[in-house]
Amino acid sequence: MRSTKAIFIKQAKDIFRNPMILIEFIIFPAVALIMTELIAKTNDAIPPNMFVTMMASIFTGMALIPTMAGIIAEDTERQSLRFLVMAGVKPHQYLLGAGGFVLLAGIIGSGVFTLIGSFTAEEALKFLTVMILSAAASIILGAAVGILSKNQQSAMAASMPLAVIFGFTPMIASFNETIEKAASVLYTQQMNVIVNDFSANFPLAIAVIAANIAVFSVVFAVAYRKKWMRTSAR
Amino acid sequence: MIRMQNVVKNYGANTVLSDVTFEAHEREIFGLLGPSGAGKTTIINILTKQIEADAGEHDTGVTTFETGLMLDEDGLYTRLNCLDNLYIFADIYGIPKEKAMQALKKVGLEDAAKRQVQKLSNGMRQRLALARAILHEPRVLFLDEPTSGLDPATARGIHRLIETLRENGATIFLTTHNMEEAVKLCDSVALLNKGKIVEQGAPAEICERYGAIKTVPDLESVFIKLTGVELE
Repeated sequence: MRSTKAIFIKQAKDIFRNPMILIEFIIFPAVALIMTELIAKTNDAIPPNMFVTMMASIFTGMALIPTMAGIIAEDTERQSLRFLVMAGVKPHQYLLGAGGFVLLAGIIGSGVFTLIGSFTAEEALKFLTVMILSAAASIILGAAVGILSKNQQSAMAASMPLAVIFGFTPMIASFNETIEKAASVLYTQQMNVIVNDFSANFPLAIAVIAANIAVFSVVFAVAYRKKWMRTSAR
Repeated sequence: MIRMQNVVKNYGANTVLSDVTFEAHEREIFGLLGPSGAGKTTIINILTKQIEADAGEHDTGVTTFETGLMLDEDGLYTRLNCLDNLYIFADIYGIPKEKAMQALKKVGLEDAAKRQVQKLSNGMRQRLALARAILHEPRVLFLDEPTSGLDPATARGIHRLIETLRENGATIFLTTHNMEEAVKLCDSVALLNKGKIVEQGAPAEICERYGAIKTVPDLESVFIKLTGVELE
């Protein structure tokens, strides 16, 4: 617990001194707010929550994966992670600590999206739930990419295509039934389904997102242990 | 206490360590000497369990928690200040945060406690890395080229600190390619070349054995005598 807390505090301090990452957490809710106020609310032909759901999908699907991959790859590249491992930090402690703060930022971002959107209480709860779970999935996926990468550059190179696949597939799926069926195993597709139709199968969406989280967690743990196995055991 | 016996390490077809055997005793400063690429860092990586040896036995006699480590890559969080860098590890080790400031004082960085790491000189970063290594008062300290690239005064300060740590009961395992440093500092040394230990023992004994006792002109001492100022 104290290792997780130490890494969480470190990550918070580090992100507040890293404007590039801070911007990523602010830009998407800000764009959603501006477009909703200036376009959606002044044009009856546009659904009121269109920009909220669009930006929310991009935020969780596309922004969080490269962000988390970059954070972990930076720790790996500058050898900071090596010292944490030598101090006995376990994979789940590192993931909870480093990812925990990013998730907190994701939760705050999701909260802002929820406030911008015109939702009923039940819709807002469903929206927040899928957003937070999807953010968690993206963070763990990003962490797995980061831990497998040699440096930040390769982390970016690996995470961007993944972010595009997870972020854009739901949009493409809306135009093609075959892609829609295939994409139903992706957490971003399930999130997209729920935020665009709150009457859709909510338990199924949660189950698929949870399954994605489980798979990504296993990939992360295996990668961490493979890379740092010798020293992670005291 | 620190022991390696017939250790072999290969990277593909390249043999990095060949039948390496040595022993460093408790509460001594043990120096592993050799040129770049001799295999010094590989030995530290094996002893600290960061990589596995292909053959042979090794032991440090302590747990990872009782080990302090200073490597060529400092692994510091560059956007954080010195104190925050140490607080992370103080929290992980479960030791009081006051120890962080104490460690900074030991390496002479108390005035830079709130300075961001990215604004420190290389020498200061090295001292901060050393402060992190000694933060939890480890029983065994591994130092990989601890004074490499440092000015003489800072290097001397680190030498004094290493000697104090030894006096306080720590075992110091250091690598260096600076023979003068090894003679001044180490109780015993092992000479490593191309992955093989070619000689080991007390520095003076080894020098005597090979008739290599000589007086070296010491320009630095002349400067201090003339000016009373240590080179910085």
